[in-house]
Amino acid sequence: MELDTAILSVILNEALRGGEYADAFVERRSTCSARLQEGRIHEVGTSLITGVGIRVISGEQTGFAYSDDLSVEALREAARVAALIARDPVARTRSVEIPSFAELAPSVYREDDGTEPFADVKAQVDLLARADIAARAADPRVREVNASLVHEVQEVLIATSDGRLLRDRRPLVRFAVQCVAHGSERGTGYEGDGGRAGLSFYSGEIPERIAQEAARIACVNSEASDAPAGELPVIIGPGGGGVLLHEAVGHGLEGDFNRQGTSAYSGRIGQLVASELVTIHDDGNLVGERGSVAIDDEGNPGRSNVLIENGVLQGYLFDQLNAGLMSRSSTGSGRRQSFRHVPQARMSNTYMVSGASAPEDIIASVERGIYARSFLGGQVEISKGDFVFMVAEGYMIENGKLTRPIRGATLIGNGPKAMTRIVAVGNDSKLAGGSGTCGKRGQQVPVGVGMPTVKISGMTVGGSSLG
Amino acid sequence: MDEREAIAIDFAQRAVESALESGADEAEATCSISRKFRSEARDRTITKLEQSVGRSLSLRVFVQQAKAASVCTDFSDEAVRAVARAAVDGARYVAPDSFAGLPETTRPDQVDLGIAAEDVKNFPSEQKVNDALELERDVRACDARIVNSGGSNIGDSDSVIAVVSSRGFAGAYRSTSAWRSTEPIAADGEHLRPGSHASAARSYGALESLDFIARKAVRRAVEMFGARRPPTSRVPVIFERDVAASVLSDLFVSVNASSVVIGDSFLSGKIGEHIGSDLVTIVDDGRLYAGLGSSPFDSEGVPTRRTTVFERGVFRSHLADTYYARKLGMKSTANAAGGGIGPNNFFLEPGRGSLEEIIASTPRGLLVLGTLGFANEHVSGNYSRGAHGFWIENGELAYPVDEFTIAGNLATMLGSIDAVAADLLFDSSIVSPSFRVAEMTVSGG
Repeated sequence: MELDTAILSVILNEALRGGEYADAFVERRSTCSARLQEGRIHEVGTSLITGVGIRVISGEQTGFAYSDDLSVEALREAARVAALIARDPVARTRSVEIPSFAELAPSVYREDDGTEPFADVKAQVDLLARADIAARAADPRVREVNASLVHEVQEVLIATSDGRLLRDRRPLVRFAVQCVAHGSERGTGYEGDGGRAGLSFYSGEIPERIAQEAARIACVNSEASDAPAGELPVIIGPGGGGVLLHEAVGHGLEGDFNRQGTSAYSGRIGQLVASELVTIHDDGNLVGERGSVAIDDEGNPGRSNVLIENGVLQGYLFDQLNAGLMSRSSTGSGRRQSFRHVPQARMSNTYMVSGASAPEDIIASVERGIYARSFLGGQVEISKGDFVFMVAEGYMIENGKLTRPIRGATLIGNGPKAMTRIVAVGNDSKLAGGSGTCGKRGQQVPVGVGMPTVKISGMTVGGSSLG
Repeated sequence: MDEREAIAIDFAQRAVESALESGADEAEATCSISRKFRSEARDRTITKLEQSVGRSLSLRVFVQQAKAASVCTDFSDEAVRAVARAAVDGARYVAPDSFAGLPETTRPDQVDLGIAAEDVKNFPSEQKVNDALELERDVRACDARIVNSGGSNIGDSDSVIAVVSSRGFAGAYRSTSAWRSTEPIAADGEHLRPGSHASAARSYGALESLDFIARKAVRRAVEMFGARRPPTSRVPVIFERDVAASVLSDLFVSVNASSVVIGDSFLSGKIGEHIGSDLVTIVDDGRLYAGLGSSPFDSEGVPTRRTTVFERGVFRSHLADTYYARKLGMKSTANAAGGGIGPNNFFLEPGRGSLEEIIASTPRGLLVLGTLGFANEHVSGNYSRGAHGFWIENGELAYPVDEFTIAGNLATMLGSIDAVAADLLFDSSIVSPSFRVAEMTVSGG
């Protein structure tokens, strides 16, 4: 994936007719995916996607065009179209010189010996076969095992009109296993793991561990009864519970919503927006994690950002456009799904820092409530701040002890309100296994979440049992 | 034939030939070329202008009944050959499967489905940009409580899709779509209240007017002022048209034949059973005139058709592509879509009367206008969502409600649909008229 620097200069100069800033995002994404069902490899798929996205910024206006035709004529045409955001494109006297490549920021990806997807499909399908065997051996109630393993490498080259030229090579692997168990009823269990790494991520017994966990959850759910309805104390388990932060807080702190004043957190920096027990970071530099970026998709280094400290709102997550309009700096949060999409302010790996409580003491403090151990995802409405997250494995807590498993249910709360109701934070913060994907305005990007055991004094539990 | 259709067929043809040369027994290629436009305005400024031409080539190969797929965006001879080789190599790692293979050959039939509108090609860009600005003006002019917005968008696409197979199928068609949307935000004391509305169709001419879209979006924001939580209870729940469509989207996953094969559908083994109430007739129709889910053939080149999925409550058919149809001993329903199974026009047949009449006949219950959340346990049909809407007392909207959940089970919900309105509108590929479920659990205060 090499574009001549002379061609990049031509593109950027053409684009600059439309505004004061322009960038080109050149992408080559190679993917190999394999899927197992009914005990055998069902399909192998490969893909090679290449293209260039050209963006022009003029004040708060963005002009954008992409091309998957990399000929000079096609790229010039895309640059011309992107420049149309200016009503009267002008020939600016300024002309951009593209320098040589900047020094790469230290890699935040796991060593993967530079393997290309598709170089070792045999290893990839063998890992799936091991997961199938492990899941079926885990429990006789397991009837169906569906597994997939995706290996991709995204190479990007970013050239900007302020004279930056950068490149990054981003490996990504994701292993997902779904089991269906037939117990008293039918139940589903899901587990995934992965990160910014190559297939060597799945060393040792990792495929077996993922498969056994999916099998275990399916069996638990096959014996589960209806979840209760009503407002109850809720304990969120460590790791995957971070989806709560992602929805209740993270999206509401993204720079675009706050620049526009459309978020429930707009204008609240310096204010107490959560219980004083709560400190939340968004860290794009965690080595090998799914949400990590050495540089973001605008060429700014990924970094660790403190969002909330001891309950006080510290800052927002910024892409370049919104940072510029609010006289701030990018927080390395400008991310895009592909060259076909414009960058947006996005999270990387969002987690809550450990508190002081022992997890078992937190559980023992609840007379009647819910323990939510794993999650299918969540969603938030930014302006009022109402959010949901979907429990994949949950239990009733009765007299301080976990009792019967309950069917998956949606929990709903209001972000700012729920964060002030956090009354205990465990000493066991950890990151969830890397399989999360975040959607925003039609764009999907990989993210990480993390969480200690946390107690929320009251949330609305969306079960069907009134008892 | 559109010039682009000929180009797309040519690329697909070359990919199939390369695959056969590389050692595939059978091959099928889909080539799409698509022009997309979008303009976004916020307040008095055009904030985004996007226009691009994208293309994609997907290839499926079968080598001794092992299936592999490959996708690329580079249409050079060299790249097409590399894609073909990658697909054939990939098949070596796949277990042979006697059900795998191309569909029986058909010829594309000449049918006017009204899916390509000239006004999308000819609509001036200047007008689209001005329409986005006008939506922003309209939502603010409608109601003084609108203090902000997430932006207004105007967009369209003009695409051609070609499918070529080594069994001799070669067809292409053009399709267009246009859409308008707006997201006003109202200030309700310390809370921001968002509203939104979108209209989509095959042509600009068939879209709802700017004024109508603005008014509906504003109403969605301001009608929620002072919302509180409803009482935790079991009551009738009315799903307004757009939310009703989201329930059908959830149902589609379990109707999908691949969900049955992987053991993850509550409809598994239920053909012929009375699951829905007599009011439930659900259809998948690939040939609805000007439908957003209409096309002459699916991604395997199988001619589209009309399939009755539920007939007065009786479950009649899964929806399948060629492979999963063979697995389940049925015929393809022409629902192959990009390597998986997708809806054509999937909808609940409308009933009689209006949403207002259903509300008036509900002594105490809930009207749902929007939901939050997306996951179901498909194997059990377990359903649970965050929601907002109105509490109903004595057949009237009593007060707005939010921050609550509704829960039930898809099978039970279908079985207890006791009212269906006539307000069906084909503004998406999965649509539904408003309907009422006799009883669900509401979890609130």
